[in-house]
Amino acid sequence: MTDGGPAIVARGVRKVYARAGATPLPVLDIAGLTVPAGGWTALRGRSGSGKTTLLNLIAGIARPTAGSIEVAGVDVAALPEARRDAFRMRHVGYVFQSFNLLAALSALENVMLAMTFARARSHGEQRARAAAILTRLGLADRLAHRPHQLSRGEQQRVAIARALVHDPPILLADEPCASLDAASAHAVLGELVALCRGAGTTVLVASHDDAVLGVADRVLDMAELNRAGRAPVAMASA
Amino acid sequence: MSELGIALRFLRGRRLAGLLTALSVALAVALIVASVVLARGVRTAFVEGTTDYNLVVGAKGSATQLVMSVVFRLDTPLPNIRVSSYEGLREDRRIEVAVPVALGDAYRGFRYVATTSAYFAPAPWRRTTLAVTAGRWFRDDPPGQPSHEAVLGAEAARRTGLRLGDRFYEGEEMAAHPLTVVGILGPGRGADDRAIFISLASYWDMNEIARATSDKPLTAVLVRPRRMSDLPGLHRQLNLADDTQAAFPSVVLLTIFNLLDVAEDVMALVLALVAIVSGLGLAVSMYRATWERRREIATLRALGAGRPAILRIVVLECGLLATAGAVTGVVGGEALAYAGARVLAGRLGVVADPLALGWPPLAVLVATMLVGTLAGLLPALTAHRLDVAEHLAPVS
Repeated sequence: MTDGGPAIVARGVRKVYARAGATPLPVLDIAGLTVPAGGWTALRGRSGSGKTTLLNLIAGIARPTAGSIEVAGVDVAALPEARRDAFRMRHVGYVFQSFNLLAALSALENVMLAMTFARARSHGEQRARAAAILTRLGLADRLAHRPHQLSRGEQQRVAIARALVHDPPILLADEPCASLDAASAHAVLGELVALCRGAGTTVLVASHDDAVLGVADRVLDMAELNRAGRAPVAMASA
Repeated sequence: MSELGIALRFLRGRRLAGLLTALSVALAVALIVASVVLARGVRTAFVEGTTDYNLVVGAKGSATQLVMSVVFRLDTPLPNIRVSSYEGLREDRRIEVAVPVALGDAYRGFRYVATTSAYFAPAPWRRTTLAVTAGRWFRDDPPGQPSHEAVLGAEAARRTGLRLGDRFYEGEEMAAHPLTVVGILGPGRGADDRAIFISLASYWDMNEIARATSDKPLTAVLVRPRRMSDLPGLHRQLNLADDTQAAFPSVVLLTIFNLLDVAEDVMALVLALVAIVSGLGLAVSMYRATWERRREIATLRALGAGRPAILRIVVLECGLLATAGAVTGVVGGEALAYAGARVLAGRLGVVADPLALGWPPLAVLVATMLVGTLAGLLPALTAHRLDVAEHLAPVS
């Protein structure tokens, strides 16, 4: 990440899904987006407004149809897939709306997964780091539990631990509290804020939850940001 | 955590399905191992159990039946020849050894084999010589003076429970001619293990028809010529005689092997189909597991696992399943072959030790692991090609 510069810069980003035998479906058309480093930026929007697609493009999970996305100074859209995987592994943490924990793995093993493929740390170090962050999130007595043995709040805390255990400079969170009840959402949000603010992590969170939006330094409205929703016919022909 | 660790945990996550898949592989492998080992065992046993004599002389009829009944005791004997035929052979200068054999009834399924001490005599050309491990040989009684002594083959002694000094008979009509156990043979590999040897005089005394005739009956004469060059002439002469035929055991053995070849070809075809079905079953099981797990695979990809890593994890999982099935199957197949060998040996007396045949199970083990790993390629490629963004959302 460049010192003092933005963590994420998107320019002319479009995403159009090709459909066999049907008109291509434009889902995203963003002229420009800048996310400052170290801050907490929220993307507000209804379901289907393109929030998840944008997060996936920033994470390098998907490639835009057009445009560039610089993350920590690197245009991830231009990278070949293997390098995008490696880039994401080191620079990006991702919290999914529905946790996406692996059912066959314990809480500890799920968190260790975030360090497994980087092969930068020994097994013992991975275990120690995973145990430490889970303990910090109040799950010291849940390390060996598998996801189905945890409450939804605990599952999301494991997912947060997994996203942050390798100290990524950027955290992407997709509706992190949408699957939780109000009490769990409050607790999880508090822990997420504490961890990220303390580490200076750049956070881009997609949500339509007022509680989540309330802790953000800046809120961007997808209805204004994404032109695809406003002019689908024009986009389709673009 | 390593990729192997993830594959193992994936297996643990679907324990029942994995167990059933491994079990189906194990059953197929066990079937293949048991069939191959038993087939080889039968072939080996025929080789080891064949006679050291070059000709078997008996009554006119099927040469195969003559050899199968006299040498392997797997068929009913042909009608009798006369002892005078044996005496003629004994006087023939071209013949080194002629051993008379008469096959009688049986005691608890173990056939009486009446012969002379020449049957057991050591000779340089004999591959193995039978030895008495307990007691002594029966006496070579002169005709009309039967001693009714019996020497038991090792398996016959073990299965009947008869011991030295025991007197035995089967059927009320034999009560007047009980036999006494005077010796027990050490284990060999042929049909002699299952025989109860008695003297010709004892046999003739136990046989109502033999008692009434002066030219006593025999089933066959085992012949070894002094010179191998005399063998064709002897063979032709004995076959031209009105009441005898001569059969080459080696030729009959070739006929048996030809039949075994056909049976083994059919068996190989069936086993190949079993292997294909089992491999497909494994591939389908893994494909299904991969498809059900596509969101987790997408998650792994989102966490930085490259496509090659995903491919390796799925292939590893499939290989582990195949290996578990293969190892269990080989052990089970060996056990099945051992049990089958015991049953066949008990009934036929021809099956060699299946555990002595080393390489086929090892080959099946390695082949199964390879096929199992290959079977994982299709689901692995499916996982490899997975669209990550599409499958990160919950599977509805």
